[in-house]
Amino acid sequence: MVRYEIGIVETRNVIKTLLETFDYDFSDYALTSFKRRLEDIIINNGLKDADGLIYRLKNNKDYFEYFLREITPETTEMFRDPSLWRTLRDDIIPDITRTSGKLKFWVGNFDSGEDLYSLCITLNELGILNESTIYCSIISNVIEHKIKSGKIDFKQVETNEANYTRCNGDKNYSDYVTVNNGMATIDTKLIENVTFLKQNTLFNNCPNSVKLLLFRNQIIYYNQSLQDKIINNISNSLVAGGYLAIGAKETLDNTNTSNKFTVINDAEKVYKKKTG
Amino acid sequence: MYKAVIIGGSAGSFQVITKILSSLPQNFHLPVLLSLHRLKHVRSGFVEALSIKASIPVIEPYDKDQIKPGKAYLAPANYHMFVELGNKIALSTEEPVNHSRPSIDLSFTTAAQVYRDKLIGIILSGANKDGAYGLKKIKDYGGIAIVQDPEECQVKTMTESSLRLTKVDHIYRTNEIIRFLQNLKP
Repeated sequence: MVRYEIGIVETRNVIKTLLETFDYDFSDYALTSFKRRLEDIIINNGLKDADGLIYRLKNNKDYFEYFLREITPETTEMFRDPSLWRTLRDDIIPDITRTSGKLKFWVGNFDSGEDLYSLCITLNELGILNESTIYCSIISNVIEHKIKSGKIDFKQVETNEANYTRCNGDKNYSDYVTVNNGMATIDTKLIENVTFLKQNTLFNNCPNSVKLLLFRNQIIYYNQSLQDKIINNISNSLVAGGYLAIGAKETLDNTNTSNKFTVINDAEKVYKKKTG
Repeated sequence: MYKAVIIGGSAGSFQVITKILSSLPQNFHLPVLLSLHRLKHVRSGFVEALSIKASIPVIEPYDKDQIKPGKAYLAPANYHMFVELGNKIALSTEEPVNHSRPSIDLSFTTAAQVYRDKLIGIILSGANKDGAYGLKKIKDYGGIAIVQDPEECQVKTMTESSLRLTKVDHIYRTNEIIRFLQNLKP
């Protein structure tokens, strides 16, 4: 069985449609993973090829939000990289609480809920969830509904629980998640006060005075020029001295933005924005 | 004439990889991409273990690192490793394929799309079928497909799956794989 493969020209045609019809610019997404996701969408939606996808996009406006969900990889694991979450809980967030001004946190990457709930659990266990202002970027309304429903893919529960245990938290993962008839649901009270920010691909909806910005495993989906552009854009949201955490195998060294930041923890890829 | 070597392996492949990496000439003229199944929550230790005897540097790349000859690139824990246009590494946290992240199929397929007939793909010992489709793609693009002799593998599933799907160029024991790579002309 041979899997459908989309060509470069067809990929450009889809990108052109997305820009002209919806004003969403995917032209500087990293090509390999973007092509693969287009192929998945075409295969899973029973569309024959790129032209079939373009036709669906142009003729069914409701389909676009589903497309946005599908084109964005799910984050799939709560507390991915437990050592980062320990660093946030034990060092970074306590440092933030010693500064003046509002406690503002932003899950900037297009999360499917995992990073957001992990952050809220961490803030809850530090006793500062209620006084924190939390923003979460979303690219699709479909994802916002999913996050607000608290539903977790049952297959992920075991991974999430193992990660949580490796964080050496005060509680048990099961304190936050109920499992019933093969369905897992997380306590949605955790995200009661979260503000969701609908973004386009260029992040047109950024908050200000943020103290900690999670932007994990997002720039891996960009080419280098888009990495430069987006990191420059979102770093404007951070206060001087604010923290940025990116994915464990992402680096600002391959962008033109590394001079704006000091490396705080190289293994966990936590950076601090320089003053001025 | 070739541009890269890519090796996929899982259970039972560690010693084979170690032998291959220790037998390459220090001035080996191609990049070596390693897509190996590994524990997803253990980030450190593997690249260090492979480095001990290797005759070329073994690196766990960051996203968008340039791929250079004479270096081995090990797919990091819990990421897929792709080859991106412009001869760069691209990493991804997309869902596992064949229950695997890194998935050998994805590394091999994306490498085949970039290097086309200038790629050598090698499948070693392993316990699932990940890699079989990727090796087929390398062959489809005109590259060289090599499979470790299943008789020599600690676990045969991966090599046998590959042989079922693709008419490979060579079925080699470890020492023959090493000789093949040593004899490659720049």
